[in-house]
Amino acid sequence: MTRSFILSAGIGDPALADPAMAAQFVTAAETAGVDLLLLGRHDSLLFDPQVIAAWAAPRVSRLGLVPLVSSRIAHPFHVARSLSAIDYLSGGLLGWCPVAQGGSAAQLADLVRATRALWDGWDDDCLIIDKESGRYLDTTKVRPSNYVGTHYAVRGPVNAMRPKQGHPVLVCDAASPFAVPGIDVVIAAEGQAFPAAARRLLRVDPDVDIAAMAVRFAAGEIDGLHVDLINPVVELARIGKALAPITQGRPSAGTLRERLGLPLTLRNIHEEIA
Amino acid sequence: MPRPIHLWAFLQGIGHYPSGWRHPGAEPEGVFTMDYYARVGRLVEKGRFDAIVFGDQLQSRGVRGRTPEHLAMPTLDPMALLSAIASVTQHVGLVNTLSTTYWSPEGLAERFATMDRMSGGRAGWNIVTTAHPDTAPNFGDEDLPEKSQRYKMAAQTVAQAQAIWRERNAALGPSPQARPVFVQAGQSGDGRDFAASIAEAIFCSAPTIEEGIAFRNDMRARVAAAGRDPDAVRIMPGLSFILAETEAAAIAKDQAILDLADEALCIEYLSESLNCDLTGFDPAGPIPVDHILSQTCFPKADIGRALEKPAAIGLPLGKFASGYVRTPRGHNVFRGTASQLANMMIQWVEAGACDGFTLQPAYMPGELEIFVEEVVPILQAAGALRMDYPGSTLRETMGLPRWPADMAA
Ligand SMILES: Cc1cc2nc3c(=O)[nH]c(=O)nc-3n(C[C@H](O)[C@H](O)[C@H](O)COP(=O)(O)O)c2cc1C
Repeated sequence: MTRSFILSAGIGDPALADPAMAAQFVTAAETAGVDLLLLGRHDSLLFDPQVIAAWAAPRVSRLGLVPLVSSRIAHPFHVARSLSAIDYLSGGLLGWCPVAQGGSAAQLADLVRATRALWDGWDDDCLIIDKESGRYLDTTKVRPSNYVGTHYAVRGPVNAMRPKQGHPVLVCDAASPFAVPGIDVVIAAEGQAFPAAARRLLRVDPDVDIAAMAVRFAAGEIDGLHVDLINPVVELARIGKALAPITQGRPSAGTLRERLGLPLTLRNIHEEIA
Repeated sequence: MPRPIHLWAFLQGIGHYPSGWRHPGAEPEGVFTMDYYARVGRLVEKGRFDAIVFGDQLQSRGVRGRTPEHLAMPTLDPMALLSAIASVTQHVGLVNTLSTTYWSPEGLAERFATMDRMSGGRAGWNIVTTAHPDTAPNFGDEDLPEKSQRYKMAAQTVAQAQAIWRERNAALGPSPQARPVFVQAGQSGDGRDFAASIAEAIFCSAPTIEEGIAFRNDMRARVAAAGRDPDAVRIMPGLSFILAETEAAAIAKDQAILDLADEALCIEYLSESLNCDLTGFDPAGPIPVDHILSQTCFPKADIGRALEKPAAIGLPLGKFASGYVRTPRGHNVFRGTASQLANMMIQWVEAGACDGFTLQPAYMPGELEIFVEEVVPILQAAGALRMDYPGSTLRETMGLPRWPADMAA
């Protein structure tokens, strides 16, 4: 299997909460072949990225939407529900990037574990929806999570479906690291430690030497790039064009997880602990 | 000219009737797809509704870990649904139900501020305090705070959120409405006083025109006593409806939907309402009163009273459950023709029983489509419903003033 180059970009500008601007950013990111669009920045969050991800859901056909989720204000019960909904509404194009925003890394990891435990309370194939027999779901495929962690205790079941992708793609920004198994994508700067993850993205400036990066990708040192955008529309156009030789021809159908070749290996919280 | 009627669509999952998802006009798979919500959004805009409201809970259906097999669930998070609908509509208001007991002021303030910006000023907040005891363990608690305590917390949380909005609006430039429109549905004294102090629209259940008038008069008096203008509050009772060509056909249609609630569904529905799993009991056997009273976490005295008579006459459990599903839950359920419904709505508003209606379609989207196609044109021809939206924000759509306090930096 050929490795697919992963292009990630992040927008922290409060202009993202202006729908006219957000519409331009989303279109520019889709056109540039961005795989992951991080909504918000770990050191400044002036809006609710989950609202923007939901708003953007009907506007994307291949762009992965990755709201930052801050453990400063998030609760796993609310997070599990809203991310499940956005994953369905976007057709399975959701990721999430938990950040501590001044809180502890331990609390952040607990937020991730508790949220996953709630999703795992429902099986993928629990719905029957048979009007004829009147059976809506298989009651044996839903269970309370009874999660008790270091910071959160959530009983469940959560009143939300297991997300379309099982779990949305989990992204870790090494600037706000957390330690859980099964991180899908990690973003780290040159010289910064990469927490364990299935894919490693190097954080670069918008004016990076793309040819040099293509060499490092080919050598297997990195799986792609992450760019923090300052002037999103202009920079996305430039990066998209410069990267076209290595981003063209990548698969564009399927869920984000399928497209990035990231099968969900964790089945449930009990396996995770074991 | 008749007084203008305000229309709200109260949507939660697949419709108001527990058996509604089995109706041929229901699309139960749709509730997990964007296409469905885009259609519903366009439909309510075509009907010139003020707003879509999604009800919300913070606990899953079911008792003691057993999720029901015959009830349509779960639903998706309303914030996500409404924010996505905002993206594909222009005018309709988007009212998100959110609990003051299980959200922090910072979290909810940020959420609504972003919704107001992304929707161009169409956000509303149905302020609830959460009444289901199963919610507490989802947030690491054993028990819900009791009701008067919850309303005290609600008042504090709303005041804190208002302070955050003022601060943020001053720093970032105001969101179009400065803050979401406040909606509330208190029925108790505590709940009504809380609504009187802040609500711009109030939901209630009013099964008859007399009860509607009494509720609206009571609320207007409380609003005035709180030092606010009663005309700056919209009273919006719930209204479920079944429409057909003739009244007899509507009654038959209603019966047919109720008949889709088979015994298994009815027993699960009753179990949930009593918070006691009855699915293991023989439907032909007696109502297990002692078991119910020992298991339920709802007020035992009320439940004991409700069970006394059916148990005394030896009504089997299955029959009792079927009767329970067939009894309307305090809301006005209309069965008849489109013009009868339009006339009733105009009559209620003219009589001062309400300012509009919170429509709760029996099943979705079929029954709402019939309303928009058939009842809306009659209301418009009578001059009771707008032909076009007056502005772009929800507050403009509802004809409500801005609060000077929201503007202060
Ligand atoms: C039309 C209507 C819709 C309501 N929707 C919700 C809801 O979605 N979520 C919720 O927790 N409570 C909901 N409630 C409950 C109210 O917030 C309130 O708790 C209830 O009417 C009882 O009033 P009280 O709190 O003063 O006792 C609703 C009530 C009505 C009448």
